[in-house]
Amino acid sequence: MSKGERMKTAREKIKQQQAAERQREQRRRVVTYAAVGVVALAAIGGGWLYAASRSQSEEAAAGNQAPVTVQPDGSVVMARAGVDKPVLDVYEDFQCPACKQLETVSGQTFKNLAAEGKAKVVYHPISIFQREPTRGNSLRAGAAARCVADGRQWLAFHDLLYKNQPSETVEGFKTNDLVTWGKEAGVTSPDFEQCVTSQKHAQAQLSYADKVIKAQKIEGTPTVKLNGVALEGNVAFTPQQLRDQVTKAAK
Amino acid sequence: MIASSASLPARSAIPLVTTVARLVLGGVLIAAGWLKIGNPSDSVVAVKAYQLLPDSVATTVGYGLPIIEIVVGVLLVVGLMTRVAGVIAGLLMLAFVFGIGWAWAHGLRIDCGCFGGGGELGVGQEPSYLLDILRDFGLVLLGVWTVRFAPGAFALDSALGLAGDAGSDRTVAGDHHDGDHHDGDEHDGRERGDEAGGDDARGDDAGDQGTRA
Repeated sequence: MSKGERMKTAREKIKQQQAAERQREQRRRVVTYAAVGVVALAAIGGGWLYAASRSQSEEAAAGNQAPVTVQPDGSVVMARAGVDKPVLDVYEDFQCPACKQLETVSGQTFKNLAAEGKAKVVYHPISIFQREPTRGNSLRAGAAARCVADGRQWLAFHDLLYKNQPSETVEGFKTNDLVTWGKEAGVTSPDFEQCVTSQKHAQAQLSYADKVIKAQKIEGTPTVKLNGVALEGNVAFTPQQLRDQVTKAAK
Repeated sequence: MIASSASLPARSAIPLVTTVARLVLGGVLIAAGWLKIGNPSDSVVAVKAYQLLPDSVATTVGYGLPIIEIVVGVLLVVGLMTRVAGVIAGLLMLAFVFGIGWAWAHGLRIDCGCFGGGGELGVGQEPSYLLDILRDFGLVLLGVWTVRFAPGAFALDSALGLAGDAGSDRTVAGDHHDGDHHDGDEHDGRERGDEAGGDDARGDDAGDQGTRA
């Protein structure tokens, strides 16, 4: 082998080695990249599951629901007979999206706690909006709920209102819809339709809201108070925490 | 490459600028995610307030967005998978710009919910859409810079040999040492462009998620 040839082979060898090195480097890079990617995706998946599990609503408890009574002032009590504490006050507005979210996430927990005799739940439907169309929507819905005298029917109507909550940018909760939902909720009283259509209780709804907002220093809806003290937002919106706090307050 | 035509001090400043861009963008994302993650329901309400997505999708996005922001933010801050993270971050910000613009155009009165909170504004509160959009658009630009000049100084990508540029450039420069070198370098640049394009494609999936946000 001539010197030139030897140098050529040596150069080729080096080239091959370099190529192999590059390939190894490339493979290592891909593996590292994939590993980091998998860890990142796992973190995202885990975080999502955690968020979803915190907001997981309770199943309806077996057995009877607690009796529901509509009070003269328009607030509604849901409690087992003789259970008068701890008191869970729910200040809500049928038009407020966060109230709908609260209902979706924790609504069943309120019902279960009352059914288990662990709390006296009091709903206070108020109207907080001051601009159209939300003001009118809220007022029509609130006034219509005041036309329902039976507690069980009221609660069913309450749930239907949230289910059918209109967007905040359009006129909704129209009186004929409210009448339909009332019937769907089992309202049988003959003057219900007239009561809703004429908005008989609009004034009562307004003055009740006004009174409650001032007296309870309500800054926004939903506000949930446990024995008169406002719960932090994430407690009310986390069924497990809500249940724990109420159980603790019962002791 | 832009860098080679710039003067030397400017060239050496680029990785530092990238690092600053990464830290700012990543820091904002971490803060935004952190303030939202403790209260997924709030986050869902904030997403729904945009009235851009059907409820079930809005719920999924509301749960997922805070953690995505945190993970992408952390990747940017430490400089890991910088280019991918930068693309996702940029697309997220672009989606936010679009979302806020949408809310504005539709006359919604909402808080952007960018850093927690969100939803319909109370009486006497005014939306700050313009500021929100300018801020997020500025962050889009930081994302673009990060992707273009990834990974910057103090990046784990470099430490782990993931920074495609540095490693392959050096090998190429070592292999050729004549007129070909220039071509090779340019070719390499184009290849890297393709790589970035690949990232884009991957990022587009995330972008779809973002748009759904």
